[in-house]
Formats: sequence, C-alpha cells, structure tokens
Amino acid sequence: MCNKKTLYLVGVFLFFNAMYLIGSEVSKTPPAQEVAVSAELQEKFPLKNHHAKLSLKCADCHEGQGDEPENFQMIGDEGCLSCHKSKQYLADRLKFMDVLHVNPHNSIHDGQRLYCDECHFEHQKSENMCLNCHSNDVKIWMKDTP
Amino acid sequence: MIKKVFLFIKSKLFIFVMAGVFIGLLFSLGMYEGLHRTSNDKFCIVCHEMAPMVASYHSNVHGGAGKSGIKVACVTCHLPHDNVLNYIYTKAKNGVVEGAIHFFGNPDAIDWHKNRQRRDEFVVDEGCISCHTNYTTNPNISEKGIKMHKHYVSLQDTDKQIGCASCHVEIGHKGLRSMLNYYKPEYEFYDGKFDSKKEAVEKQLLETLK
Ligand code: HEC
Ligand code: HEC
Ligand code: HEC
Ligand code: HEC
Ligand code: HEC
Ligand code: HEC
Ligand code: HEC
Repeated sequence: MCNKKTLYLVGVFLFFNAMYLIGSEVSKTPPAQEVAVSAELQEKFPLKNHHAKLSLKCADCHEGQGDEPENFQMIGDEGCLSCHKSKQYLADRLKFMDVLHVNPHNSIHDGQRLYCDECHFEHQKSENMCLNCHSNDVKIWMKDTP
Repeated sequence: MIKKVFLFIKSKLFIFVMAGVFIGLLFSLGMYEGLHRTSNDKFCIVCHEMAPMVASYHSNVHGGAGKSGIKVACVTCHLPHDNVLNYIYTKAKNGVVEGAIHFFGNPDAIDWHKNRQRRDEFVVDEGCISCHTNYTTNPNISEKGIKMHKHYVSLQDTDKQIGCASCHVEIGHKGLRSMLNYYKPEYEFYDGKFDSKKEAVEKQLLETLK
C-alpha cells in the first residue's frame, strides 16, 4: 500500500488542508472599523468591564441624547432595562439569594422597587445601598456591586 | 506483492464492493445512532454534574417550557453543525482546543460558575441562527434588540467578535446560576442552606426524565 502514489495523494491532501487553513485565515482579516469615540472621552467616561467587552458605544446607552457628550444625561432604569429586560427578570437571575432574603433585586424591604442607580454606576465605582444599614453583613451576602 | 493484492481484489470485485457498502452502512448507522443517542438530555445527564444544566434546561423555553413546547437538542446549541473536520480546524485555529477539553473533560474539576464567563466559546451561534434566521430584521424584536443584533453583525470577524450568548445569558438554561448554586454555593454564607432546594430539583429531574 505504501507506494509513491499513496504518498503523493497524502501530500496533495495535506497541501489542500494547509491552503484551507490559510485561506480561511485571510478571509477573516478585520474590515476597517468605524472610529468609535475619542480616547480622551473613553478615559473620562470609562465603561464597566462587562459592558466594555461588548464594545458598547456611547449611544447604545445614551440613546436619543444627541451626539454631544456634554449633553449626555443619566439613563435611568428604563435605559438599563432596554437591554436587561425587566426587574422581574433581574430578580429571577439571583433567585438563589431569595432563600435567605438577601436578593438585592428583590429586597426584603422594597421588593423590586429600587432604582438601579441606588447601587450601580457606569462611569464610577458602584455602591450598595444595603450597606447604609447592614455594614457588616452585605459582603457575606453578595459580592461588590458590579 | 501489491499487484497480487490488486488481482485478488479484481477477481472478487463484487464481494469487495458489497463488503464496502455493508461497512459503510454500518458506519452510518453507528453515526446516526451515536448522534441521536448522545443528543438528548437523557444522555447528557448520565454524567451527574450536568444536573443543574439539565434542570435549568427544562425550565427554559428551549427545553420544553415555552408555549411552543419545543425541545432543542443540547448539541444544536453546543456543537458545530457543518462538519467535524471544520470543527477541529476552527478550534485549533482559535487556540481554544484547551477550552474544548475543559468543556468536555472531567466535570468534577470544573468551576462551572467561572466557566460561564467564556460562554460565548462553547455556544454555537450558527445553531441559534439556524432557527432565529431573521434576527436582524424581525419586526417582533424590540428596537433595542435589532440595534444590538446589527452591532453583533458589525463585530463579526473582528478581534472584538462576540457571541449570541455574550448578551443572552441563561438562554437554554433558565435560572442556571441559581441551579448551580443549589448544587455548589458561590459564597460561603450559603453553604448547607440549599439542601432542600437541591432535593426538590433532584426529585423534579427524576420525574421529568422517567
Ligand atoms: C446596550 C445594552 C445594555 C444597556 C443599556 C445596559 N446593559 Fe448592562 N449588560 C449588557 C449586556 C449584554 C451584559 C452581559 C450579559 C448580562 O450579564 O446580562 C451586561 C452586563 C451587565 C452587568 C454585569 C453582569 C455580570 O455578570 O456581572 C451589570 C451589573 C449590568 N450590565 C448593569 C447595567 C446597568 C445598571 C445598566 C444601566 C445603567 C445597564 N447595565 C445598561 C447590556 C446592556
Ligand atoms: C440594592 C442594590 C442594587 C440595585 C438597586 C440593583 N442592583 Fe444589580 N446587582 C447588585 C449586586 C450587589 C449585584 C451582584 C450580586 C452578586 O452576584 O453577588 C448585582 C448584579 C446585577 C447584575 C448581574 C446579575 C447576575 O446574574 O450576575 C445585573 C445585570 C444587574 N445587577 C443589573 C441591575 C439593574 C439593571 C438594576 C436596576 C433595575 C439593578 N441591577 C439594581 C445590586 C443592586
Ligand atoms: C452601559 C451604558 C453606558 C454607556 C455605554 C455609556 N454611558 Fe455614560 N452614563 C451611563 C450612566 C448609567 C450614567 C449615569 C452616571 C453613572 O452611572 O456613572 C452616565 C452618565 C454620563 C454622563 C453624564 C455625567 C453626569 O454626571 O451628568 C456623560 C457626559 C456620559 N455618561 C458620557 C458617556 C460617554 C462619552 C460614553 C461613551 C464613551 C458613555 N457615556 C457611554 C451609562 C452609559
Ligand atoms: C434604612 C436601613 C436599611 C436598609 C437600607 C436596608 N435594611 Fe435590611 N434591615 C434593616 C432593619 C432595621 C432590619 C431589621 C433588623 C433586625 O430585625 O435584625 C433589617 C433586616 C434585614 C434582613 C433580615 C434580618 C437579617 O439580618 O437577616 C435582611 C435579610 C435584610 N435586612 C436585607 C437587606 C438588603 C438585601 C438590603 C438592600 C437591598 C437592605 N436590607 C437594606 C434596615 C435596612
Ligand atoms: C431549534 C430551534 C432553536 C434554536 C437552535 C434556538 N432557538 Fe431560541 N427559540 C426558539 C423558539 C421556537 C422560541 C420560542 C419558544 C416559545 O416561546 O415557546 C425561541 C425563543 C428564544 C428567545 C426568546 C425567549 C426568551 O427566553 O427570551 C430568545 C432570546 C432566543 N430564543 C435566543 C436563542 C439563542 C441565543 C439561541 C442559541 C444559543 C437559540 N435561541 C437557539 C427556537 C430555537
Ligand atoms: C449585543 C447584545 C446582543 C447580542 C450579541 C445578541 N442579542 Fe439578541 N437581543 C439583544 C437585546 C438587547 C434584545 C431585546 C431584549 C430582549 O427582549 O431580550 C434581544 C432580543 C433577541 C430576541 C427576541 C427575544 C424576545 O423575547 O423577543 C431573539 C430571538 C434574539 N435576541 C436572538 C439572538 C441571536 C440568535 C443572537 C446571535 C446571532 C443574538 N440574539 C445576539 C441583545 C443581543
Ligand atoms: C438554546 C440553546 C441551548 C440548548 C438547547 C442547551 N444549551 Fe447549554 N448553554 C447554552 C447557553 C447560552 C449557555 C451559557 C449560559 C450562561 O452561562 O448564562 C449554556 C451553558 C451550558 C453549560 C455550561 C454551564 C456553565 O456553568 O459553564 C453546559 C455544561 C451546558 N450548557 C450543557 C447543556 C446540556 C446538557 C444541554 C441539553 C440538556 C444543553 N446545554 C442545552 C445554550 C443551550
């Protein structure tokens, strides 16, 4: 079986495989991307890592607020929920915490009535309003507000 | 020597062809059976650590909990569709072979909570798109959804590429994070406090898989 022909065939096979790999590599070179935002602005209004890695643009959150960053305002619960669906959905994602009544999205005191920005911020470190009264317990109940 | 073999084959050509066809058919049957046997939730749960994934699957619209009652096979979302060779190629190319081993390796050693951060790597977008064909134009999807889907398309084939699962967390597995917690709490505070939850899940699973 191990004659020249077989060797030759195997060679051709491997060659095409290599071509395939190289070829598919070429087609994957990134097309020129539109310039998003100036580095200066990005530095001034950094995004949280979980949003940055999705390459969200300013206008994905500051929707309908024009093109001038100076005029941008906070986006409120509605802004967050346009992507994060609903407070019910967010409460469900942390359902396991309900067992001990510490779900920040389904508070033992306020249910789902809290505003996102009582805890979450985008361009600065987030806080956690539960800390106001439970300064010791919160860190064992949940992680730092992302 | 080789000539002799050829002559032998020539004289028994018919038998050889038949044997070939037979072996071919046997292989296809094996593939068919194998693919189908290994495609459903019953196979996947053979490995105990999959219980949270299967339980959360059953609560999701893709696992039979929706209006349509559709049950999408695990492999539709988790294994590439075109062909096995391509699968190996892409994996090798992206240098995520290690990830695949991780995903299919010893599940006891896997930190499933942490593993979710790379969910875009083990969820196959072509699978989603094979059903959600018009996800960039469907008028029933919210404006924000369409905008995000165009964003997704614009990032394709760039170094910033993301996956459907980057945004759609817990799709295919409703309440995955909670289920994982019932089996293995993320935070010390919860240790031992989910036993009854876990029992209930286990019972429900046995019931559904009967
Ligand atoms: C343009 C869409 C979009 C908007 C608007 C948006 N997010 Fe997100 N966000 C995402 C996506 C997609 C993810 C990643 C998937 C996930 O965890 O839901 C994410 C992740 C997060 C996470 C991290 C989840 C984790 O796993 O740690 C937090 C916290 C969060 N968002 C909070 C907010 C808050 C608060 C707002 C409002 C100020 C907001 N988001 C607005 C799309 C958005
Ligand atoms: C009481 C404070 C508080 C409020 C109010 C709050 N969050 Fe959170 N959120 C948290 C904390 C703390 C976590 C992290 C919990 C953990 O993983 O331990 C979190 C996690 C998240 C996550 C990730 C969930 C996951 O499963 O990993 C998202 C997304 C999120 N918040 C969005 C929102 C949005 C949108 C709002 C407004 C509707 C909101 N949050 C309101 C404190 C809060
Ligand atoms: C994930 C959503 C999101 C994205 C993306 C985003 N922002 Fe914001 N932005 C917010 C939120 C929420 C606030 C309210 C303050 C905060 O949470 O830090 C805000 C506030 C602002 C403000 C007003 C500050 C104030 O105190 O009134 C400016 C200006 C701003 N953002 C600029 C930008 C720029 C420039 C970009 C693009 C580089 C950007 N934002 C991207 C969510 C976002
Ligand atoms: C204004 C102050 C205040 C804030 C803010 C607050 N709590 Fe409380 N909380 C209390 C008081 C007072 C009690 C009753 C104390 C007791 O019975 O020991 C309590 C009781 C609790 C309890 C039951 C008792 C325990 O310690 O196990 C839980 C759980 C709890 N809070 C969670 C939260 C969470 C989660 C948040 C944030 C979403 C929060 N609290 C925010 C004041 C507050
Ligand atoms: C076999 C076809 C099929 C595949 C594969 C599939 N879906 Fe679906 N999907 C459906 C159907 C059918 C529904 C509606 C189910 C119902 O409501 O009963 C649905 C519903 C949804 C919804 C809306 C419901 C919800 O829970 O928010 C989203 C989002 C979604 N799919 C995303 C995805 C993503 C992401 C993937 C890939 C990881 C995927 N789908 C793979 C058929 C499929
Ligand atoms: C950049 C974030 C992002 C990516 C990536 C993404 N989506 Fe979405 N998708 C959204 C948002 C935001 C919505 C609207 C909110 C919602 O209803 O879930 C949405 C809505 C949907 C819906 C309708 C859900 C409903 O209940 O109406 C389907 C189906 C869907 N996406 C499928 C997909 C598929 C398939 C992919 C991959 C090809 C994908 N998405 C990738 C953000 C994203
Ligand atoms: C509709 C598509 C879909 C189907 C069907 C599906 N999955 Fe998934 N699966 C996903 C997505 C999306 C994730 C990532 C979810 C997340 O981390 O939020 C995931 C995550 C996983 C994980 C990793 C969990 C972790 O913690 O890292 C495993 C294991 C898994 N699925 C197994 C299965 C099994 C077994 C089945 C069949 C019973 C199945 N999947 C069916 C979409 C699907």
